[in-house]
Amino acid sequence: MLSVGFRALFKREVLRFVRRPKNTFMPPAITNVLYFAVFGVILGGRIEEPVDGIGYILFLIPGLVVLGVISNAFENASFSIFHGRWNEYIHETLTSPLSYVEMVVAYVAASAVRGLIVGVIVAVIGALFVPVTVEHAVFLVVTMVVIAALFAGFGIIGGLIARDFDDLTVMNQFILRPLVFFGAVFYSLTMLEPVWQAVSLLNPMVYMVDSVRYGLLGYSDMFAVTPASVGEFAPLLSLGVLVVLTAGVLTLDVYLFKIGYGLTD
Amino acid sequence: MPPAIDTVDLVKDYGDLRALNELSLTVESGEFFGLLGPNGAGKTTFINTLVGLVRKSGGEARVFGYDVEDDYRQARDAIGLAPQEFNVDRFFPIKEVLMHKAGYHGISEDEAAERADEVLKRVGIYDKRNERFDWLSGGMKRRLLLARALVTDPDLLILDEPTAGVDVQLRHDLWDLVTELNDEGTTILLTTHYIEEAERLCDRVAIMNEGHKVTVATPDDLKQRGTDTVDVRLESPPDTAATVADELGAYAHDVTVTGDHLEVRVDDGGSTAPQLLSELETMGYEIADLEISRTSLEEIFVDMTRQEDRSVTRSDAPSSAAETDDDPGSRYESEREQEGVA
Repeated sequence: MLSVGFRALFKREVLRFVRRPKNTFMPPAITNVLYFAVFGVILGGRIEEPVDGIGYILFLIPGLVVLGVISNAFENASFSIFHGRWNEYIHETLTSPLSYVEMVVAYVAASAVRGLIVGVIVAVIGALFVPVTVEHAVFLVVTMVVIAALFAGFGIIGGLIARDFDDLTVMNQFILRPLVFFGAVFYSLTMLEPVWQAVSLLNPMVYMVDSVRYGLLGYSDMFAVTPASVGEFAPLLSLGVLVVLTAGVLTLDVYLFKIGYGLTD
Repeated sequence: MPPAIDTVDLVKDYGDLRALNELSLTVESGEFFGLLGPNGAGKTTFINTLVGLVRKSGGEARVFGYDVEDDYRQARDAIGLAPQEFNVDRFFPIKEVLMHKAGYHGISEDEAAERADEVLKRVGIYDKRNERFDWLSGGMKRRLLLARALVTDPDLLILDEPTAGVDVQLRHDLWDLVTELNDEGTTILLTTHYIEEAERLCDRVAIMNEGHKVTVATPDDLKQRGTDTVDVRLESPPDTAATVADELGAYAHDVTVTGDHLEVRVDDGGSTAPQLLSELETMGYEIADLEISRTSLEEIFVDMTRQEDRSVTRSDAPSSAAETDDDPGSRYESEREQEGVA
């Protein structure tokens, strides 16, 4: 798997975003400083603790971390694939002897790395506003990696099906972002009426935000809004579903590369 | 050693358009092979089928014995492609672009750096190694495409109209370079619109038209297939061509009279001219001058590829992402402008 060719493509992909911090890391850093300052400090001081013992800024951190990871992993993969198609330099990769699996894994891994770096930046910024203690480190790391890989995988599909840069904007701004915002980033599910709790459970982002919140703070909304028999295992169940979903999406990515969807005539 | 390229009944359909029509072609290892044909003949589709940018609809295609789909990794590793389009990674200085390409082909980073320097020197743009592609002139861009094709040290070098739009000096530089590469053993497949280029460089050429192979021959053989024109200046020319044409043998395909010049089209001017002169003298004409001109390869090419139905547009299919009608210049916008809020 870690062939010279794979490493070359992975390195190229990582260098592309590392050398452009003003495009890739500065915007989420600034945005999150604003989120924490406005929602956390200015408004948060007037909001009751959404959950007993967890202040509002602390409660916000996991959701904003997930938002950063998801947005950046998706955006990096979709942009890299689509920009390569648009300017046709993806042909450099497609005409190489790299296997389709190597191509997909290199693109996904590099995009996941960008997502994770942004996630860490957001967490560090949050920690500047409020002390954070990680409750379940291994669970947190595994969950973040899986979420980053999943959305990098979705980004590949987005980059392959997009016909214009507008399509990428639509996917990110009009689909991803609203789902994450309604994924209990800024509020606890326990604050909602039962009917909206039920509706929220249909949103896959809820489980991702909740899993990261559980890993970071040791608290999960699922303990409260699902039956006790399920709630107890909810974080592990969410992670299991995410792993399966990620495997499925990456398999689809490889299949699309193999048939040349959006890549070859 | 298996042929460098071997296709059997290769077919590529784009909807109703058959871009490759049961194309069977063999290019031997070490050959300098030319692919000639008008726009839309299927040359680029053929090339892209070999490198994996086009999926064939039928038939077989092998590169050094490797099937381009079943053994795509080996087939692609053997090929270096210099395409028509400037499809180069614009995020990195050109030396790094070459290193990345070499890396994809399994060449270690240190060796890739050495090779990148080497090929940049070879094509004459080493001093631009830290520039990005967009800052190069048109000629330098063309040279970079060749450098990128060479950096993996391919056994088969495919050049898709490498001299289109370049100045005379660069064209000659490229000719010298590819001739040298071929002498070193690299098989070369060249597509071109310049007949002179094919005539000068290629061991054999294939003429393609509307997706199928019209013929394969050496440039000399092709020229033999054309007719020559014997131009005879007469002291007292006939009033009409018909007066003379009826008297001449079957070897004279066409006779025209322009002023005091009698032009006779024949298969082989060198061997036919004495007979023509003898018959003209027998008819009482006095010969003042004689000139034999051979049909150019270009004329033969035009004859062979004349499109009968001009109501149908044939052109190479656009690549998948770039098939919108947007201004090409917009492709070079910065990442920030294209990416939106990150």
